[in-house]
Amino acid sequence: MTPRDGLAGARQRRLADVVEQRHVIVCTGSGGVGKTTSAAAIALGAARAGRRTIVLTIDPAKRLAQSLGLTSLDNTPRAVKGVENLDAMMLDMKGTFDEVIDRHASDPRRAARIKANRFYQQLSSSLAGTQEYMATEKLYDLHNTGRYDCIVIDTPPTRNALDLLDAPKRLTDFLEGRFLRMFLAPGLAAGRIATRAAGFGAGLFMKTASRLTGQAVLSDLAEFFQSFEGMYDEFKQRAQQVYRLLQSPTSAFVVVATPEVPALREARYFLQRLAQDGMPTAGLVVNRVTPPPPDGLDGLPAKQARQAAGALLGGSADENAVAALLDLHADRLGVTKRERKNIAAALHGIDPRALVEVPLMDSDVHDLDDLTAICEVLLGA
Amino acid sequence: MELENLLDPRLIIVTGKGGVGKSTVAASLALAAAGTGRRTCLVEVEGRQTFSRLFSTQTWDFSEREFRPGLWGLSVDADASLREYLEMFYGARRLSRIVTNSSAVEFATTAAPGIKDVLLIGKVKEVERRRDPDGRFHYDLIVLDAPPTGRIVNFLRAPDATTELVNIGPIRDQAQSVIDMLLDPQRTNVHLVTLLEEMPVQETIDSARALDEVGVTLGPVVVNRVLSPRFDDTTRKAFEGLDVAATQRVVAKADVELTDQGAEALLRIGTLHLHRLELQERMRGILSRRLRLPLLELPYLWDEHFGADELAHLAEVVEESL
Repeated sequence: MTPRDGLAGARQRRLADVVEQRHVIVCTGSGGVGKTTSAAAIALGAARAGRRTIVLTIDPAKRLAQSLGLTSLDNTPRAVKGVENLDAMMLDMKGTFDEVIDRHASDPRRAARIKANRFYQQLSSSLAGTQEYMATEKLYDLHNTGRYDCIVIDTPPTRNALDLLDAPKRLTDFLEGRFLRMFLAPGLAAGRIATRAAGFGAGLFMKTASRLTGQAVLSDLAEFFQSFEGMYDEFKQRAQQVYRLLQSPTSAFVVVATPEVPALREARYFLQRLAQDGMPTAGLVVNRVTPPPPDGLDGLPAKQARQAAGALLGGSADENAVAALLDLHADRLGVTKRERKNIAAALHGIDPRALVEVPLMDSDVHDLDDLTAICEVLLGA
Repeated sequence: MELENLLDPRLIIVTGKGGVGKSTVAASLALAAAGTGRRTCLVEVEGRQTFSRLFSTQTWDFSEREFRPGLWGLSVDADASLREYLEMFYGARRLSRIVTNSSAVEFATTAAPGIKDVLLIGKVKEVERRRDPDGRFHYDLIVLDAPPTGRIVNFLRAPDATTELVNIGPIRDQAQSVIDMLLDPQRTNVHLVTLLEEMPVQETIDSARALDEVGVTLGPVVVNRVLSPRFDDTTRKAFEGLDVAATQRVVAKADVELTDQGAEALLRIGTLHLHRLELQERMRGILSRRLRLPLLELPYLWDEHFGADELAHLAEVVEESL
């Protein structure tokens, strides 16, 4: 199959079988492309297919959140009014990290010590990938409850869409990093680091690090990593389980983009990376597409429309109005062409499975009716 | 803050919700600045090579290059920033080599969150402060294509967070001098980029408040992809009176034949256009009521391609507003 056939074939496919069969559906893509909306519409489709469904969103737009009945970031599933079988929930990142600590720490005192550490507090809110990792953690939790047939998650807007796949590994690497092991050396109490460091093979590193940041930072770090001792293996194990769940054929990745080059470039990287990692790709959703002209207008090429507009311009008010319409039609054809070219370039040599183009709506999406309309486009209903 | 002072600060930080065209706006502002004779440096921080693609130049890196007359490009990354910074601070290449070869970079850029951002902005500050032998600033203006609004507050707060966490040492001094630059209204303005749509407008309003709390000075809001009305009052009234048959009669005068379906579709394009204009007007109203910042509007471009010519066009619009 040539890539050209691939694109046409992909355009024929929709996401109906995905929402009917898959257990975990991950929506991903760069920021501002409408991931949350796509995730909500997909979840709606699964619920309408009679499956017990939850959509886990991260920082949804206010009005969309309201239409799903969500009011706070509280990690609590809530039934969506007016839709049977559908729950929605907003991720509380800090709360999820705290739960992870509580679960893995050997006793409550140790958990409390970790949670009070300044590094933990910064790490849990700002280390790159933490949000992604917590999203997958929560996903795994929801999976373990057995309450849902279908779990749809919307991923955080990241600098790099690949963060989701890398996050578990990055976090465990970070927690058990080679250099961090130095802090775990027995007898290396907080406050005595710089003097003790001289005795280590990595003494120069320690000296440099403490000259850069001052000793207090190293003491905090040492305390932090010492209190993590014994938890690394569990952490790592959990991360691997999450990764395996994402990789299983009962999961599906839906990549979301807009027809703009930066968003599509990100989508392309992600599709390539999914293929490399053997992840189950289900499709590419392109939101806010300028649709090709409908039947009856598709036979009027841009050049002819502009000529006609030119001929009518300067006539009666009706003629001027129609001239404006013809110009708009020609302009839209140009944009459609640009967008199609962008999409084709992004998918060159790549099989996204399904390719669904969602047309730009008259207004922003914020209620269940709007979501239903999008759901129907996604499923091909 | 007046629109004509748009390009007057020494550093313009451009941010916005993902997908609003932040990089396009940064590039247009930089082109416009160079067009007014300012020696300008356009900086990207996330190594995406957006600008080298947009301007069809060679790959950008840590050394500034003049890619248009009076316009330089620079791509900063944390590792290179740390290396350069250590060389400057210790004056010892040897030390810096050992450090970057060990895990200290990992420590500084990963373990202590925010230090990476301090190093990135620290590099920008170095460029901003740089002087020629005659004592004048090397650049008149730096335009920074910053992380999107979702991360900008953490990005700009990083120096502050670092001084809280790290109370001695060169990193702290670096962080303090970066804070001084960011909080000086004469030196630094943040330009928020938005679209006239609900979600971007809401996020712009929220970010403006959060940035205000950080203490940075906001410049004009740049409204990207603004549709211009295709109808005036007369033609709009005429359009609203048009039905399928009338439309068919009018196009026939220009030798175009349309089926009923075709005429309906053509009319629907007009209705869609008016809906988007109404939405724009509503959003424009919300922005001006809630923010009290001047708006710089850049037009939506209908071209089949988007490249250097289109950027030059947007830069002209910026220059005209000065």
